[in-house]
Amino acid sequence: MPAWLDAHFIDLLNGLAMGALLFILAVGLSLIFGMMDVLNLAHGVLFLAGAYALWWIGGAAPSWPAFLAALGVAGAAGAAAGSGLALAVERLARRSHLDQALLTLGIALIAADALSIAFGDDVHAIDPPPGLAASVAVLGKPYPIYRLALIGLGAALAAALHLVVERTSLGALIRATVSDREMVAAVGVDDRKVKLGVFAAGSALAAVAGVLGAPVFSPGPRLDGTALILALVVVVIGGLGSVRGALLGALVIGEIESLGRGVLSDLASFVLFGALAAVLIVRPRGLFAAPTGARS
Amino acid sequence: MSHARITRRRLLGAMGAAGALAVLPACKRRSGDAGGGGPGAGAVKIGLVVPQSGVYATVGNEVKHGWELWLERHGGKLGNREVTTVVADEGEAPQTGVPAVQKLLQSDQVDAIVGIINSAIALGAKDIVAEAKKLMIVANAGAGAITGAARSPYIWRTSFTNAQVASVMGKHLAGQADVGPVYLLAPDYAAGAEVIRGFKTAFEAGGGKIAGEAKPAFGKTQDYQPFLSGIQAAGAKATFCFFAGAEAIAFVKQYAQFGLASSIPLYGSGFLTEGSAVLAAQGDASVGIQTTLHYTSELDNPANKEFVAAWKAKFHDAPAVYAVQGWDAASVLNRALAVTTALDGDSLSKAMGSVGTIEDSPRGPWSFDGQSPKQKMYLRKVEKRGADYVNVVVADLGETPPVA
Repeated sequence: MPAWLDAHFIDLLNGLAMGALLFILAVGLSLIFGMMDVLNLAHGVLFLAGAYALWWIGGAAPSWPAFLAALGVAGAAGAAAGSGLALAVERLARRSHLDQALLTLGIALIAADALSIAFGDDVHAIDPPPGLAASVAVLGKPYPIYRLALIGLGAALAAALHLVVERTSLGALIRATVSDREMVAAVGVDDRKVKLGVFAAGSALAAVAGVLGAPVFSPGPRLDGTALILALVVVVIGGLGSVRGALLGALVIGEIESLGRGVLSDLASFVLFGALAAVLIVRPRGLFAAPTGARS
Repeated sequence: MSHARITRRRLLGAMGAAGALAVLPACKRRSGDAGGGGPGAGAVKIGLVVPQSGVYATVGNEVKHGWELWLERHGGKLGNREVTTVVADEGEAPQTGVPAVQKLLQSDQVDAIVGIINSAIALGAKDIVAEAKKLMIVANAGAGAITGAARSPYIWRTSFTNAQVASVMGKHLAGQADVGPVYLLAPDYAAGAEVIRGFKTAFEAGGGKIAGEAKPAFGKTQDYQPFLSGIQAAGAKATFCFFAGAEAIAFVKQYAQFGLASSIPLYGSGFLTEGSAVLAAQGDASVGIQTTLHYTSELDNPANKEFVAAWKAKFHDAPAVYAVQGWDAASVLNRALAVTTALDGDSLSKAMGSVGTIEDSPRGPWSFDGQSPKQKMYLRKVEKRGADYVNVVVADLGETPPVA
């Protein structure tokens, strides 16, 4: 066992880092889908836009001010884009998931092409901000500091989101909307405002995840698709509409992508979707779904 | 089906003729300026096919600039003929690249095609080039099959074959006493497979041992950590890999970040550290990496010194191997046009066969062997010089024929 742990310790650690990044990306998708019942296929392109924001502001080797500015710009632009998406899909509220998927997918395709025109089709490798580019020894094995920072950031954000959702009255409202939207409206709360807020916050997080992920996932064409698929898998595995589900789903996927590829290297291409299929068979609603009403 | 094809070709031919009629007055005026005889004489029209968008756009630009620089420094003439270059966008796949070649042949009526970065496009264009009986000079694409046993007499190459570049590294490493088992890593597509095969064959023939092998998905792998763990777990004493462009940047950086660079030396096909933009992005992580290639801007010969100086004066950075391949495409076509007056593919191909050794290439003397270069290969090592990173020559690995 120690020998096995010794061989795969870095895989495990890297799974945590990937999981932290995936959590920041996917928690918004989970809440938007769980709460508003909107399948937002434009979520991946927000991630890509965030990654390009870092390239645009900071170039290949961003300074700290540029990195922080990119986080701010991505957060603000992501929130604005999320509000726009919320208004756009509001008109389709009474229609099927397919209509929403078509609308958001169309927006995503147009946005991805616009990004390609603006930033070229080259893949841009970006350095972490100064001081985080180096590696430190973790139990005697070198590991990039930036990825350790991602683990810390993901943990902090998960804790903060958990407190907001579980301990505040705003969180109670969010949970109530996830669980029964009509009832929330019936007791006199304008659920459209709650939805708009969650859509804006979730989209802002996706764009921020893009900035944070840019030094690991070099931005380029088709990264939006990769991000969207990973986020969807996290949501399906973790279950809809809960912070805890998104966190655990993201950690599971992070470990599968990292440790799974390390241990079962011959089956690397199959482990991710194999795990997805297994979860769908055993727990079709996801491993950690939030309780929902009769709506679904 | 063949009936439909003929009809379509006729239609396109008619459209091409109409197009040619429209530009005829311009042609006349140009050949008059050049002091040539009848219409067309004294002029040659070349179709340059390179990607102007997509992952390999920078490579395409280097080839194009190499071609243009040669013409600029030789009075804009190939074999005493005034040159018109028509540029077409190769794109990223045969779906875009093959129609680009077809358009040049049919509606632009070019006399020869030059360029082609992507091997799949070179292979896809083989039949239409043969049908049109026009010469095609491949200035990059490295698939062995382009000039292998089943080659077309019309397709020549001024670059390399994937296995040619990799096999010399295999032979070199097998001859090193202290190199242990080597781990092999290349993206999961045709060029990657040819590189691995070329290396493995030469390395194992020399008594080398392989520690393991992995094929990251091409264009989809951003995080190489699982593969880096695999290298360590396999107990490898060295890594040989093939990556280019953005993948080369990401891989080399992560190889250093995860601490492998200091314990498991990295070797590669030269494209891993080729081009000033790639080296600048890799930064300190690239220092010490050894690769094999048929060129480095550091080569010490008069032709290269002149070439590098001219390039730096115009583009303000060091040229990469792709620029030399574009430059040499112009250089060999110039030689071929000096011995033939006809511009059809058969005459030009025959003339290409008689160009002999190209003495004044920046890469050093080379000659065609089965329509692809037989050339010297160099062992190179990345060093930091001032603010720049350069591939210095460690050893001359000798003249190497193309390996299919």
